[in-house]
Amino acid sequence: MNRLVSILWPAFVVGGAAEVVFFTVVAPQELYFFGEAVELGPLATYTIGFFLFWCIAAASSAFTVFLQKSAEEINRCPLEPRERPPGCPKAEP
Amino acid sequence: MSDAPVLEERSLYEVHQKIYPRAVHGWFAAWRWALVVATQLVFYGGAWLTWNGRQAVLFDIVHRRFYIFGLVFWPQDVIYLTALLVLSALSLFLFTAVAGRLWCGYACPQTVYTEIFLWVERLVEGDRNAQMRLDESDLSFNKFLRKTVKHSLWIGIALWTGITFVGYVTPIRELLGEIRSLSLGPWEMFWVGFYGFATYGNAGWMREQVCKYLCPYARFQSAMFDRDTMIITYDAGRGEPRGKKKSAGAGDCVDCGICVQVCPTGIDIRKGLQYECIGCAACVDGCDQVMDKLARPRGLIRYSTTNAMEEGWTRREMLRRLLRPRVLVYSGILLGVTLLAGAALYARVPLKVDVIRDRAAIAREVEGGSIENIYRLQIMNTTERARAFTIEVSGLPTIRLAGESTAGIAAATSRVVPVKVRIDPAQAAPGTYPIVFTIRAIGDDAVAVHEKSVFIVR
Ligand code: SF4
Ligand code: SF4
Repeated sequence: MNRLVSILWPAFVVGGAAEVVFFTVVAPQELYFFGEAVELGPLATYTIGFFLFWCIAAASSAFTVFLQKSAEEINRCPLEPRERPPGCPKAEP
Repeated sequence: MSDAPVLEERSLYEVHQKIYPRAVHGWFAAWRWALVVATQLVFYGGAWLTWNGRQAVLFDIVHRRFYIFGLVFWPQDVIYLTALLVLSALSLFLFTAVAGRLWCGYACPQTVYTEIFLWVERLVEGDRNAQMRLDESDLSFNKFLRKTVKHSLWIGIALWTGITFVGYVTPIRELLGEIRSLSLGPWEMFWVGFYGFATYGNAGWMREQVCKYLCPYARFQSAMFDRDTMIITYDAGRGEPRGKKKSAGAGDCVDCGICVQVCPTGIDIRKGLQYECIGCAACVDGCDQVMDKLARPRGLIRYSTTNAMEEGWTRREMLRRLLRPRVLVYSGILLGVTLLAGAALYARVPLKVDVIRDRAAIAREVEGGSIENIYRLQIMNTTERARAFTIEVSGLPTIRLAGESTAGIAAATSRVVPVKVRIDPAQAAPGTYPIVFTIRAIGDDAVAVHEKSVFIVR
């Protein structure tokens, strides 16, 4: 859960900023999709654009989180499952 | 409270415990409520103001125009948005340097909506103890009823907040009309829901966790603090050793725990400054009440600075340090940027022109051997009345417009005007020449724009 938040939330902020910057410069009517003008309403374009930016930023966050796993999390645990300390996500209840 | 070891805030495995802040009354709580009312009057009320027969504050993203009372901003005015952002950042620096997280404690939407939601919670479920008892009790009709009422009220407030938010993009009267006739567009519906849900989640459930884990400001606030920043401080010299009994040598703190109970982020300010502290001063109000009851002087917890604490300064001496270089520099820059932006706004010409050379036709010879270039002028009339403009061109001998040299533009719209520019034969050798278009409002010579372009001769 915490991991999900730390992926989605910074991405939300960055995606929002990217949305504002992008659509200040580019009008939705000026966008082309595979050579065809985007025919959605402006509100739809803005919304889809926002989610697209959010997704891109989230992908980057997810990659960061993935690479940040520590050696302990990646290596096999030397302890038996029931010997693991409380709070350890791999501990057996 | 037992001293059982709790897992420290190791973000990954943390078990969240609900915090039940105790209601508090006092000077700072009154200020906070004043700001809740003021900011929400502006937010909820602002959408209903009208100006010139339109909504006074409207972010018309469909037509890409922002209306703020008499002003109309276009995407080309993005510089003002930048100025606004710079001003906000500078003010935040200034306030933080002077008195810590004033923004967080009094004006941040997170604080404001949490305050409103807490108020509803107290109204429905009673005070802190009653809430805790209710949450521990088994499900009963009473519990079910109270929870339902609370959540319905919360959702109601959240929905209205979402509607108001969208009401700044789609005129709010139209929006309500659409809702009444059940013809709300899917995207508007989505954003009302999204914003409403965010309000409900953040103010009802997440609360202090937003400040602790999601807010970037909390992380770099200390970079703006110095030894003369006024922050919420517990006067340990006066309070310690704390204790319930009034024995000789005991400090003023009676260890009643009120300061912890009122704290919305659930920390103990007596342990010193912590990054979780949002500077809401609830503990100041709480402790002052206790001190009043004990007939001891107020201010065991108060706004104070590191220097003042260490040197034992009086309030006067502490406030004198307000005029230190850091504060003066921040204020100076803030004032400078404000004046600059204000002057630019005042001098702004309500007309914008973009000249686009027709890329398809470069230069061609027309009847009589004249050379012609074609341009498209995008003329934006940023006033709210229709206007007519004259178009002139200069920069080469015999240069002139062929055809229309006036253009009428409706209020707050833009129009692309194609123009043909010609020069007589043999006036210039082949090459590229700079020329200037002058667009002037008829009847108001002050409204004029000069735009550069090039004229090509082959
Ligand atoms: S409210 Fe004041 S007296 Fe009570 S525990 Fe906190 S600091 Fe001590
Ligand atoms: S320690 Fe005091 S000022 Fe800081 S958040 Fe808690 S109640 Fe507010």
